[in-house]
Amino acid sequence: MTISRRIFVKSGGLALVSLGLDPLFLVRAAFAAGRPAVMPSDRPILVCLFQRGAVDGLNMIVPHGEPAYYQERPRIAVPAADVVDLDGHFGLHPSLGPLKELWDNKSLAAIHAIGSPDGTRSHFDAQDYMESGTPGVKSTGDGWMNRYCQHDREHEDTPFRAVAFGPQLPRILAGSAPSLAIDDLQAFGLRVPQEAARDKLTRAFEELYDGAGTGLLASSSREGFEAVQMLKRADPSQYRPAAGVEYPQGRLGKTLLQIAQLIKADVGLEIAFADCSGWDTHVNQGSSEGQLSARLRELGLALAAFNHDLGERMRNVVVLTMSEFGRTIRENGNSGTDHGHATAMLALGGPVNGGRVLGRWPGLALEQRFEGRDVAVTTDFRDLFGEILARHLGATDLGTVFPGYTPSPAQFVGAIRA
Amino acid sequence: MHLVLVLVLAAQLPTLTPRDSAFHALNRLAYGARPGEADSVARFGVMRWIERQLDPDHVSDDHLRDREREFKILDYNRADLAGRYRDATRERQRLQREAAASGDSTRMRNARPMQEFRELGGELQQLAIVRAALSERQLREVIVDFWTNHFNVFVGKGADRFLLPSYIEQTIRPRALGRFEDLLIATAESPAMLFYLDNAQSVAPRSAPPPPRGSFFLRRRFGMNEMPDERRQRLQRRPTGINENYARELLELHTLGVDGGYTQQDIIEVARIFTGWSIEPPERGSGFVFRDWAHDRGEKHVFGLTFNDDGKDEGIRLLKFLASQHATMHHVSAKLCARFVADEPPDGCIDAAVAAWQKTRGDIRAVLRAIFTSPEFWSAQAVRSKVKTPFEFVVSAVRATGVEPDDTPRLAQLVARLGEPLYQQPAPTGYGETEAHWVNSGALLARMNAAMGIAKDCASIPANEDHAQLVDMIDQQLLAGTMSTHTKSVILEQLTDVSDPVQARALAVGLALGGPDFQKQ
Repeated sequence: MTISRRIFVKSGGLALVSLGLDPLFLVRAAFAAGRPAVMPSDRPILVCLFQRGAVDGLNMIVPHGEPAYYQERPRIAVPAADVVDLDGHFGLHPSLGPLKELWDNKSLAAIHAIGSPDGTRSHFDAQDYMESGTPGVKSTGDGWMNRYCQHDREHEDTPFRAVAFGPQLPRILAGSAPSLAIDDLQAFGLRVPQEAARDKLTRAFEELYDGAGTGLLASSSREGFEAVQMLKRADPSQYRPAAGVEYPQGRLGKTLLQIAQLIKADVGLEIAFADCSGWDTHVNQGSSEGQLSARLRELGLALAAFNHDLGERMRNVVVLTMSEFGRTIRENGNSGTDHGHATAMLALGGPVNGGRVLGRWPGLALEQRFEGRDVAVTTDFRDLFGEILARHLGATDLGTVFPGYTPSPAQFVGAIRA
Repeated sequence: MHLVLVLVLAAQLPTLTPRDSAFHALNRLAYGARPGEADSVARFGVMRWIERQLDPDHVSDDHLRDREREFKILDYNRADLAGRYRDATRERQRLQREAAASGDSTRMRNARPMQEFRELGGELQQLAIVRAALSERQLREVIVDFWTNHFNVFVGKGADRFLLPSYIEQTIRPRALGRFEDLLIATAESPAMLFYLDNAQSVAPRSAPPPPRGSFFLRRRFGMNEMPDERRQRLQRRPTGINENYARELLELHTLGVDGGYTQQDIIEVARIFTGWSIEPPERGSGFVFRDWAHDRGEKHVFGLTFNDDGKDEGIRLLKFLASQHATMHHVSAKLCARFVADEPPDGCIDAAVAAWQKTRGDIRAVLRAIFTSPEFWSAQAVRSKVKTPFEFVVSAVRATGVEPDDTPRLAQLVARLGEPLYQQPAPTGYGETEAHWVNSGALLARMNAAMGIAKDCASIPANEDHAQLVDMIDQQLLAGTMSTHTKSVILEQLTDVSDPVQARALAVGLALGGPDFQKQ
């Protein structure tokens, strides 16, 4: 029994064994051959934002038609008068107001009461499960996005297929399929301040690795240099967002700007992933204003800017927010909320079946709750991720992406327009 | 013993020169060769050197001991750190309450009560790098890293911020070359592991702690003076049943392996056996405690054994049983061989390791010796077949260039940037061992940048106006003469228009470290 087979079996179930027979570098080399310089601009794209820290879904998508919401949150509920009403029962937190026009033009949907079948309230475990895509199983080695890339190789013709924005590759993209971690587009590649010297050094390393023959070192370095070349042509330093579009200050705005830039550069981006943190509001969460409001404002402004910046290109882009779990229905003694269970996610973009709050709403009454305190999960997150992979990106085999679970169309909430 | 080893070696090294075999041993049993070290190990005798490395207590390590004194983390024991952690937690809670009352959260942000623990985590990483780079007991550092990864604990999970130092110092390091069974039991009893894999919270269903007695202190702890909200939260937080996490990873990762032939019901039985294995509260030092009231006294049946109301001894008996199972020997031996021999290790070295394990009842030294004397370890296919992990890459570059690691977090941050932040793997699998885990385009570009950075400080190569001599020197000092002709010619070509010898050295060393030859071991 070889190590690699053991890892494959453990992490991915049956189908991953195929990779064991198929040395990775050969696969990559095969895909590296004959890449077009510019990718077609009509391929579907998925952008995922992970709200690390567990966003309070109830104050993000507010169930203002639910008396229990106001009873349980005397200090932090968003007053009905402030909520941006969506359907008479739910409404946006006022700080997400910039997204209302997307709701109105049916390109924004919310999915409520979504989460993990595993009841853990540990950030660490719950994030891990959401990224591995195997709730309850800790030893899965790779992430579900990477497994998607392993099995739907149709688009594996560009180093920019799957990009995580940040210093390291997150768990969700970890695995054997090539993926890039980019901290800053402008700094990607060799760090030499002067351009001519940088080009020269890049060529030198390229030549060194050209002599490395076959193997993963050779194919990965080729991908890397190819990415550097493609980016150089795209010239990120010259990028200007569409007229009138202003991204908010801060990391999230900068990241979404860079994702928009990669999309417009037609380098073949299919999956982009980024973190946005600061949602663990145990203390002094605030209601219409305050701590959570400030985070939501940045999120709303950044998403709205991204949408306007891409304009017509949004027709084949889906942006999905996710978070490891929700927060307690009842506010705590510190005007905050503690770790809960189900939360809400947002999906926006041209392919989204927008203008509605999707998923079955379980209600907030005591007997409707999970363990008497939290919003119950009525949609397994794998059903939403699976639907988007299948109906938006065209994934054909969800069983290998979510080992031990097969999202079924009967369970799909209908986030993607048929 | 030595004679046997020499004979084995003579029979199995038709292709490797003494220097090549010394370099191979230094790449695998050590974090790479320091300048000239391949030659000195070859002169000393590579098998003799391996024997010395297997007996580290007789290798003096004065320089490292001096450097370790800089690390204040080694002065704190677990109880000290637990106390400081408790104080910091209280301070944070106090600030949170104040912030909640005043509606002003800026002070909270500025105060950062947990800052000290973040810094301690950083210090722990630097210490690992200093030890790996400087220790004369290289194999011990390598095997400590192996077990730390095999029995992975994530430093970022709650109390593990302060439990990890004692886990490394007291649990792993003293046993890294001892018996596997002792190491397994020590990790099972370690507060760090008990917290990380949630066993500290695993209690028999419907069990409850005995009612509090007496003192004011206890009344406070058990809630007589609590606000109703706090009491409700505490009761909600109280564990109410078994937690299977440790049991599952114990079987799948630490011992039998995923193909070890156990079932979900086995996991549940194992979890029941470990109910009550827990941690003292911080004010009592956060040590191991067996809580009788939380232990499941019912009968458990697993692997053909019966466990019945035998308290903590049930768990010890089970761990000893697991440590002696063939599946465990095979699983752990194969992992050792993946580390020391090849990403996909041949059966020969695994079988040799398992045989040694059986014969010595899990003496880690004997298992390692069996691997290092197996023909597979010395085969041409094994030599330079493995890609260095980020940690191995950075430390070997530091050693090769004669850079003395300083007490700044610079090198630890570099390892993190290359994708392997030490002690920060959240998954209990630990970091991967094979090239597929480490080689990707972004990571390779990052290695090239790291190489250029380290090259600037290179102390082992004198600047030289003669480029051919310079490149030859780099080949000898950094790669023990194994640099490919292609690499040599590319570097020489790049040097043609560089006249400043210091600049030429930085460029040539950077290309050598960042190029494909140095990625391999």
